[in-house]
Amino acid sequence: MLINKKTLEYLAELSRIELEKKSEDKLLKDLQKILGHFEELKEVDMENVDPTRPPSTSSKAKSGAVAGGRAERDLSHAERGGTIEMNVFREDEPSVKRQMPAVQLTGQFPEKENGFLKVPAVFE
Amino acid sequence: MNQRITNRYEFTNKLIMEISELTIKKFHEGLVNKQFSAFEITKEFFDYIEKMDVEIEAYLRLTKDLALSQANRIDVELASRNFEISKYLIGVPLAIKDNILIEGELATAGSKILENYRASYDATVIKKLKSAGAIFLGKTNMDEFAMGSSTENSAFQKTKNPRDLERVPGGSSGGSAAAVASDMAVAALGSDTGGSIRQPAGFCGVVGLKPTYGAVSRHGLIAMASSLDQIGPIAKTVEDTAILFEAIKGKDELDATSIDLRPTTYDLRLEDIKKLKIGLPKEYFQGADLRGLNADSRGKSGLDKATEKSLQETINILKSQGFKFKEISLPHTKYALSCYYIIMPAEVSANLARFDGIRYSQMSNVKGQMLNLKNIYFKTRGEGFGDEVKRRIILGTYVLSSGYYDAYYAKAQKVRRLIKEDFDKVFNPSADGVDVILTPVSPTPAFKIGEKTNDPLQMYLSDIFTIPVNLAGLPAISIPVNLKAKSPKLKANLPIGFQLIGKHFHEVDILEIGQYYEKLATSH
Repeated sequence: MLINKKTLEYLAELSRIELEKKSEDKLLKDLQKILGHFEELKEVDMENVDPTRPPSTSSKAKSGAVAGGRAERDLSHAERGGTIEMNVFREDEPSVKRQMPAVQLTGQFPEKENGFLKVPAVFE
Repeated sequence: MNQRITNRYEFTNKLIMEISELTIKKFHEGLVNKQFSAFEITKEFFDYIEKMDVEIEAYLRLTKDLALSQANRIDVELASRNFEISKYLIGVPLAIKDNILIEGELATAGSKILENYRASYDATVIKKLKSAGAIFLGKTNMDEFAMGSSTENSAFQKTKNPRDLERVPGGSSGGSAAAVASDMAVAALGSDTGGSIRQPAGFCGVVGLKPTYGAVSRHGLIAMASSLDQIGPIAKTVEDTAILFEAIKGKDELDATSIDLRPTTYDLRLEDIKKLKIGLPKEYFQGADLRGLNADSRGKSGLDKATEKSLQETINILKSQGFKFKEISLPHTKYALSCYYIIMPAEVSANLARFDGIRYSQMSNVKGQMLNLKNIYFKTRGEGFGDEVKRRIILGTYVLSSGYYDAYYAKAQKVRRLIKEDFDKVFNPSADGVDVILTPVSPTPAFKIGEKTNDPLQMYLSDIFTIPVNLAGLPAISIPVNLKAKSPKLKANLPIGFQLIGKHFHEVDILEIGQYYEKLATSH
């Protein structure tokens, strides 16, 4: 039994989802089936696999425009792994682009008081 | 009973064009040559939708006020020649998947938990399309939070496949695909995390592109799995898909995972395109792993008969034109499903933690009750999320929880690396690599509504050919094998799509072969 009812209830608690008693059994069965399918991953030889580094040691990440056109077919090593290992920074300043009138955001609060979002006590 | 909807709809006396013939370029011609005004045609589309969508239910809601005011503005600008006439997307009516934010409009992501949520900003792709002059007709139906392969998981309605109303349009961008396939929009936007653009495009007989991860900004896309999601176009032709892709791609300061891309010129000279070598991965042409397919419906390879026949047709057409094919192997293909269904739910459990009944909309079962905070969370999420969403959040929570992290999540990340490396190896130019890979899109054509809803694992299996692409971050397009099948006069064959997978940021390769194939298939 890869997952039992107690674990399911614990997970529901962690994810803050109230489960209906009547649907718990079906959910448990479905999850067991899905997790059962994952057993096949045990077959895979993962001895020397590092999930974050491409096989090539080069970390020459290119910044700037990436050629998508026909003329430049060979992309650099760092790009061939599927993730370009490049840090993307911006200035630590408020971005002009993101400014919007506060009422647009606060207007949808379910309960408010003096422009603040009202919630029940976080700690009891 | 197989019901058929006729696509022919007469416009006003001024317009003799069949609505099904309206591609972006034809539309543009009509607008620029004053065959119709943006306002007129937008109204015609709304009239058409009112008749067609009763049965299909592709749209969750129409954005009439927005569209008509956009159209008015465009007519004014065209008259005063303020708009660059060369911009193809001026006035083009589009359908937008309901997980993409349009400021001021509802964005539900197909879920009750967001039933009253109004977007407070435009997604970057929407901003770009607005400045290109496009018009938004409405928001389309989808599987809840993009979780599903049939659009049956929508909290609101079931969309039907326009080619057979008893079958699903695919998912999760089923509404967008159905809208384009039934001409209720000239084109649409969808999103793709594990096949959600390509599979419905395949099922409905239209074209769908998932760009390279990072090619299109995700700012304003309600997140599902952040390392896999991409927004992409769904359209009637590959050319239209390319036009839309050009308009929405590009680096966005508000999406740190987006990449700067130069504008692409599409150059359809056959001698150059034919130099592209096409790989056929043997793992995608075996049916051995396909559960749920009975022996009668399998072809020689084990694949579904109709799919096998159609793919062979496609390969033959391309071969006859001089394209070179090579059999390749992607050995870790079979582990992609497990890998995806560990990583994606893990990311989902994090991304959906924000839906707490406080920040977005409030659920009716919670309103006015004296609940403590924890209970607000429990009840909101218990009531607001559908079964599939709950399943995936719980699965994700499980694989990330202590004691299980190494057994599942860490393992899946390693397998993801291996899957990417499979593609790297076959694409490697210094190792006799191929340039593009051709595969089926789905194991079978569109299945019947309700056929797979009882067995989630069965549903997941419909994405086995599309999932590896998202794990590797590659671009891929789904193109109908028989493009002429759109005509209502043709036999009632269900659409079947083939998939072209390109190297990272090489959308141009798959779009060019696609456009070339389109010309071939429509002249055969």
